[in-house]
Amino acid sequence: MALEQLSDVVQRCQAIKDESYSSQDYDLFLAAGRTCIEQGDSAQVLSILVDEKNKSIVRCMGWNLLGPLVQMLLKKEDKNLPHCHAILSHLLEVCSPKELLVGLLEQVEEADSASIAETLTLLLKPLQTVLLRLGMKKASSVGMALSTLLSQVARLPVPVTKEQEEDDVFGLCCCCTALLQFVKPFVEEIKEIVKDNNRISKDNELRVELLKFCMKSLSEPLLEVQLKDPDTLQKSPLRDFATEILMILSNIGESLPDLLSRNVLKRREVPGFLEEEVRYPKESLACMCHLLFVNHIAVDIFPAVLSSVFVLQCNMEYIELLLSRTEGSRLQKGLELYEKSLVRVEDNSLPVDLLELKTFFSVPQNLVKVLTLCPDQTLRTKGLKVFQLSIDKFSTEAKYKFFRGMLKTSHHAGVEGYIIKNIKNQIDFSLKPCNGNEWFLGKHLLPLLRLVLCLPHGPETDLLQNLDRIMESLNLLRYMLIRDKEWENETGIWTELYKIEDHYLKPMRTGLNMSKAHYEAELKSMKANKKITSKDSQASVCTLTVDNEKLPDMTPEMQIQVLQSALFTFDLIESVLARIEEIIEAKERPLS
Amino acid sequence: MTAEEVVTEGCSIPVEGEDITPKKDGGVLKMVKKEGTGSELPMTGDKVFVHYVGTLLDGTQFDSSRDRGEKFSFELGKGQVIKAWDIGVATMKTGEICKLICKPEYAYGAAGSPPKIPPNATLVFQVELFEFHGEDITDGEDGGIIRRIITKGEGYTKPNEGASVEVCLVGRHEERVFDERELKFEVGDGEGLGMPPGVEKALQSMEQGEEALFTIKPKYGYGTAGSSKFDIPPNATLQYTIKLKAFEKAKESWEMNSYEKLEQSVIVKEKGTQYFKEGKYKQAAVQYKRIVSWLEHESSMEPGEEEKSKVLRLAAHLNLAMCYLKLQEASSALESCDKALELDTNNEKALFRRGEALVVMKEFDRARADFQRVTQLYPANKAAKSQIVLCQKHIKAQHEKDKRLYANMFQKFAERDAKKEADQEKEQEKKPNGSAMEIEENGAQEQTAA
Repeated sequence: MALEQLSDVVQRCQAIKDESYSSQDYDLFLAAGRTCIEQGDSAQVLSILVDEKNKSIVRCMGWNLLGPLVQMLLKKEDKNLPHCHAILSHLLEVCSPKELLVGLLEQVEEADSASIAETLTLLLKPLQTVLLRLGMKKASSVGMALSTLLSQVARLPVPVTKEQEEDDVFGLCCCCTALLQFVKPFVEEIKEIVKDNNRISKDNELRVELLKFCMKSLSEPLLEVQLKDPDTLQKSPLRDFATEILMILSNIGESLPDLLSRNVLKRREVPGFLEEEVRYPKESLACMCHLLFVNHIAVDIFPAVLSSVFVLQCNMEYIELLLSRTEGSRLQKGLELYEKSLVRVEDNSLPVDLLELKTFFSVPQNLVKVLTLCPDQTLRTKGLKVFQLSIDKFSTEAKYKFFRGMLKTSHHAGVEGYIIKNIKNQIDFSLKPCNGNEWFLGKHLLPLLRLVLCLPHGPETDLLQNLDRIMESLNLLRYMLIRDKEWENETGIWTELYKIEDHYLKPMRTGLNMSKAHYEAELKSMKANKKITSKDSQASVCTLTVDNEKLPDMTPEMQIQVLQSALFTFDLIESVLARIEEIIEAKERPLS
Repeated sequence: MTAEEVVTEGCSIPVEGEDITPKKDGGVLKMVKKEGTGSELPMTGDKVFVHYVGTLLDGTQFDSSRDRGEKFSFELGKGQVIKAWDIGVATMKTGEICKLICKPEYAYGAAGSPPKIPPNATLVFQVELFEFHGEDITDGEDGGIIRRIITKGEGYTKPNEGASVEVCLVGRHEERVFDERELKFEVGDGEGLGMPPGVEKALQSMEQGEEALFTIKPKYGYGTAGSSKFDIPPNATLQYTIKLKAFEKAKESWEMNSYEKLEQSVIVKEKGTQYFKEGKYKQAAVQYKRIVSWLEHESSMEPGEEEKSKVLRLAAHLNLAMCYLKLQEASSALESCDKALELDTNNEKALFRRGEALVVMKEFDRARADFQRVTQLYPANKAAKSQIVLCQKHIKAQHEKDKRLYANMFQKFAERDAKKEADQEKEQEKKPNGSAMEIEENGAQEQTAA
């Protein structure tokens, strides 16, 4: 039936001159052709299409059959397969490449997530053939095709484990490999131009399209991928893909070191400058640097003469970006890149001038956010390790300036406590023979100590909330008073002591006494209350909500526990405070 | 001077050559393999182009620009490359080939550079210098201002617009010194002091303590007019030697706690107002922008401080809007007004100034809406009333103009499209030959229609 219709319409059309077929002819041709293919009459359809008499009909209308044809090919029914393939190659030869391109891309776009890999594998070769037929005018079409293909590939789940990458159930690896084959001739074309005149116009359209492809591949899927090193996975299609993308960048005249330093050497700061962000998205460059310095991908094409400090300075731009995100994968990459960039630098070598760069403070700020807010324990642990590493790399003066900045801006007792501990280590180091320096001894140290030894709200400061900071500060003070003898006074602490007593120790003592009295009273009344309502001891007294989720009610027992542990904490503070007071008193009492 | 040969076990490359380190510690040894030409050496900051092959002492090659087929370029003396290179390449002449033996302290030290360079490795480079030239510091890299650094400065910050600078400058035109002075001024005021725009541009690229020679093309010099004051003819290329003795470095945001930020903001606001009164709108804007940058993302304020911060930010945005209006930068003014309105939805000045900005942008409908809101909220505002009348006139005039425009628009569009297509074809068909153009054009049209 459909077959008859098809031969009817084709016969009728044979008589029409100048290819001026009516839209009715198109509709009929498509409807009949589709049915024939779907019913398995592809052999007959093929014989009609290859008939020389029908050449102009096929040229005009043939591409419409791509849809049903591709569906058939994806079904992989053995008996029709050879004919369908033959039809496809015939169409690819005869029809206009522009229409074929539209038709093929339509099929790529329509693929649902389950059939993306198969559709791509099937259509990449035909697409390439069609694009090559476009000759010199293909640049924008290549761009369109690449962008469509990558958008589809980006929908595929990224393999996480080694086994997943090997099994490649969703086909991401196979698509990436196929994509590389697909772009090859276009890259070769540009490579030839680069080789011939040693220079290529930055605006060569095909080059720009390939650049966009590389940049997009770097942000998706590569930024999501955690590459396995060759020891874990010897043959990794994703690693090959990453390597090849960097090779393509280099082959189309983008120098990798220039890409690395783009954001550092750029003359003018152009926030949100569209063209730049489109051509060289910072996120893609961040991924590239991670590949270069963490995965050591494409090291053979990257110069080994850049200074470690310069590499760190460039990478800071990307670390800042990665650590400003909340996704675990981004944070992980940011931390890795920061670690690897720091490891290459010698300890105590980063000059204080670097702190003039915005990134050298925004990165630690972001890092503090990871340390205090990130829900993932392993990332927090890694974050702390990298944070300490970054401190170790600073020169003495830079450490000093960094600590001062962190104390002023971190707003987190835990982080401040950590910084104070570092200050103590630096003082300890400086007091050792031959390590003397002007930053952690004497006149510069005192202003820093003033930042450490202070209570933001005087006696009313919440001691529990500031516990970490207070304990480290008191420890530091005790350490200095014991370590630095009054007659030596290398740190200058003894001359500052009367001020510290007035501004820090006395308010601390008052605050401590007030808090203790308050909590003891609370505890007493709570216990008294409990006796009265002992029959109903489970009755809740207060409720807490976190993140819209009501926490289990606090029973009076739990409250008593909390109060008690607070009192223990105060005792802890008091013991150190008392020790300090003792030392001071001993000093005031002249030796008998 | 020491040409020594150290024989170490397992070394296939002899360690020999002239010690070229300033400290004379033998950290970088140089041996010239082929003499270069000329007498000029590259200067700090110059962009240099080299080919190189790097090997370890045992002869293992770890890197080669020749294998990559691409020359390596970098800015000399700025710490972009390992120390040995900044020292070594600075001693080379164009065309020279030399061997540099670099001790780890002048290369990658104890850390190495994984995965290629092991810890504590001495590196051997064969370097060929191809060319070098001064650094182009213009935004568009049009070669308009070329810098050669005589003495490198310190630090990473550079003076920006509005920064107060202390400089020594000598201006030359064809060997004649036409301007020589030592002065303190604010970047942005240069024009009033008889400096060409290129000098201020140059200053903004300099580090503290830097001394450099700038070659300034007429576009960034005195242009086609020349300068009668200095007796400079039209279209003259100028040479300036500038030393940036000092400049005021603004305190970074992270160096201040919220209290200090508020305190500084008040001072800076006063400064801005002073500039504004003197008609220095650019400098005033710089000051107000500092307030915004300090306070905008400050999240750790006490309630009392937050209130103060809001008042300061609002004032800063409103004043910025005013500066931008004076500077004819309507879209920036609009942005500032929007920010101000985020803080205070019915702010009279913000609404009025946004209206003014929109008038400049010829968006009379939206401008009228803003002025109308002002009169609704603040009936006493007479200026807004007269602005509404003005807007209405403009809207009417524009309406008339549109009518006339639309009348022959379609024809214009058709003409324009045709022209565009022809242009495109011309571009594409330039190469084969001109006479085939007409035919190709028709062919192309058919294709686009398909």
